[in-house]
Amino acid sequence: MGIIIAVISGKGGVGKTTVTANLGLGIAMNGKKVAVVDFDIGQRNLDMVLGLENRVVYDIVQVMDGEATLKQALIKSKANDSLSFLAASQTKDKSVLDSLRVKNLLMELKEEFDYVILDAPAGIESGYEHTIEFADAALIVVNPEVSSIRDSDRAIGILDSKSQKVKEGEEVAKFLVINRIVAEMVQSGEMLRSDDILEILSIELLGKIPEDKGVVDASNQGKPIILNEKSKAGQAYKRIAGRITGHNIKMEDVESNTTSFFTKMKGIFK
Amino acid sequence: MKGKQYSIKVYETSIDEEAEFVSFFDANHLLFKDHLIVIHGEMSEKIKQYLQQKSLTFIQNITMPVSKSRQNIRKAREAEKKKQDEEQEKISEEISKLSNRLENNLKVIDRMVRSGQEVFVEGDLLLLNRVNSGATIRTTGNLIVTQVVEGSIRCEGKFMMLSSSPKANIIFHGVEVDTELLENKLNRIELTDDKIVITPVLKKEINWAS
Repeated sequence: MGIIIAVISGKGGVGKTTVTANLGLGIAMNGKKVAVVDFDIGQRNLDMVLGLENRVVYDIVQVMDGEATLKQALIKSKANDSLSFLAASQTKDKSVLDSLRVKNLLMELKEEFDYVILDAPAGIESGYEHTIEFADAALIVVNPEVSSIRDSDRAIGILDSKSQKVKEGEEVAKFLVINRIVAEMVQSGEMLRSDDILEILSIELLGKIPEDKGVVDASNQGKPIILNEKSKAGQAYKRIAGRITGHNIKMEDVESNTTSFFTKMKGIFK
Repeated sequence: MKGKQYSIKVYETSIDEEAEFVSFFDANHLLFKDHLIVIHGEMSEKIKQYLQQKSLTFIQNITMPVSKSRQNIRKAREAEKKKQDEEQEKISEEISKLSNRLENNLKVIDRMVRSGQEVFVEGDLLLLNRVNSGATIRTTGNLIVTQVVEGSIRCEGKFMMLSSSPKANIIFHGVEVDTELLENKLNRIELTDDKIVITPVLKKEINWAS
């Protein structure tokens, strides 16, 4: 029996899909069986970020409608065998989802995989509610800016009232991922510090990801940045994936300027 | 008899019983030959003569500067902590004093009020957690919030008590309260004679060190 993790943010454009793709791959690289599911019905993106867009035959709606089996619809990642992907439908819209069908699908996935990661749509409407309804844990992705924080605060509020686990009197584990941190801007006070974000949201911090120019190109190419050993963001994703799979990995400080005295000295002698 | 080696050359003591004191120095006066003996408290003429006779150097009732020993640092820390505890106590005292004034249907909430959530209380409300941006609190009675408010507050009671909340939107009896006036650590907002009066409960602390 695996666990279902919903990747949510409230606001769009903060990097949910990128986080889903990279962490899915990262967890698979740790040797676990992972399924990433695009829940953004009508606006699928995750296939492109994973580089699997031309391999999609059946989508999630067809599986729920019984037109295809789950096995037929799941696509194995080229980058890692342990990672499978289930595409969202591009032609239908969110109204096709209903609780029972979502539940059946997720239970089937849960049997098969160690981790089932759901990429939630932006916003807080029905599509979002279906994503969180049966989740065991939620990964909240924020950018260090006030609008993102407020929207995710709202999303957490809905999670706390609408999730099945909460209705049964349990609690959904909530973890925070701060994405696109620019050290210089945090230092100069233009960007929120992670301490402040944690104080507002009061959930557990799972990781901080620095802004990295390589991410856009990696997404365009369909090769998640975690495959790039040199990338700062890729390393951050690796650490987070490690933490999810139960490794104790120290929190790196991505908020101070990285050009320390030592690296400057190394630069001189190069 | 209690004595303490203040430093290598200084010995601090007090005279509780003269006989004991004399017998101690009878036995040890050679050790204190080159020392300064600091005596706290009263000293009789007899003891004075005795010390002079033993040719010991002594001085009476001076306060030695506090040495930076580990013990003293710990003492300073304890004092600091005590001060904080006292302040905390003052806050809870103030809250309980005001809580006594809360009359009807007091509701206590200790959970975060997140964006989009609305808390409506008919009666008085004591809220022990944050009110985040985009959240709303409405009460027909009095309101106390102990943490930062970044959302909206609508209060119709006799008084409110709020901490410094520059981002809040506060409407008290239909009148917007300027959040710049809530500059203190804890502020009381009261309606007296149709006027809104804001008084500081806990003053803002000025930290000289930083």
